[in-house]
Amino acid sequence: MNPDAVEEKQEEGNILVWLTAFGLLAAMIGIFIYVPTERTEGVIQRIMYFHVPCAWLSFFAFFVVFICSILFLWKKDREWDIYAHASAGIGVVFCSLVLITGPIWARPIWGAWWVWDARLTSTLILWLIYVAYLMLRAQSEEGSMRARYAAVLGIVGFLNIPFIHFSVLWWRTFHPQPKVITNEGIGKGMDPSMLATLGLSLCAFTLLYFLLMGERVRQEKLKDEIDRLKREKLYSS
Amino acid sequence: MDNLEFLFAANVFVWGGIVFYVYTLKQRNRALEKDLNLLKETLSKEG
Repeated sequence: MNPDAVEEKQEEGNILVWLTAFGLLAAMIGIFIYVPTERTEGVIQRIMYFHVPCAWLSFFAFFVVFICSILFLWKKDREWDIYAHASAGIGVVFCSLVLITGPIWARPIWGAWWVWDARLTSTLILWLIYVAYLMLRAQSEEGSMRARYAAVLGIVGFLNIPFIHFSVLWWRTFHPQPKVITNEGIGKGMDPSMLATLGLSLCAFTLLYFLLMGERVRQEKLKDEIDRLKREKLYSS
Repeated sequence: MDNLEFLFAANVFVWGGIVFYVYTLKQRNRALEKDLNLLKETLSKEG
């Protein structure tokens, strides 16, 4: 890559860092200052403004794994495998945060940290699938077979997400029904200020995803470059 | 209803988790960059 292109990419990266920082700060102001306290649950309901974005970010990350895995199996291009691997790691981190913040929210509202209902159990299964995906990549021999097995697991794992989404509609669960996208329309079940804060938080977390993705992809590419040079050194000596 | 301690705990996990993840990513990338530069230097000296 020529120096001009490197500089341009760095500049784009800096803009994204500032946009993400600004977005997260604005979301924090919205969550703790602007938005009114919910009438029935009280102050604890404010967890929603980062619990839902964490869930959104993890689902989006797993969707990227799904698409990149299909593209890898089709095109056999290592680039798609890098994107899938990078996105799976981010997805697992944010799915873990969903599984942590959910019980913290549930304890004062439901009187229990955890219940084995359809939404919670299927989210735990999703987390376990992608932890297995990362373990498969970490434990097996490097090469195209590892990438292929991981891609298949990445695709199969994503099929759980529609099940998670519809689980609260198909079964009677403790977990609340969707509030943003309802039968009456988008955002009809929420106060406009709550909807705006949630929207802002969702945007900030989406920017955060792209920022983290940039770092994770760079990490995988650096590893590849080191491996390539090591192999070169081995063959030359 | 006042459950501030739960809200505080959730905040600590989310923001602490994000900051920790970003920090470890940055550290790992910095270490890899260092390794790569060292390797390049060694290779250029050898040949």
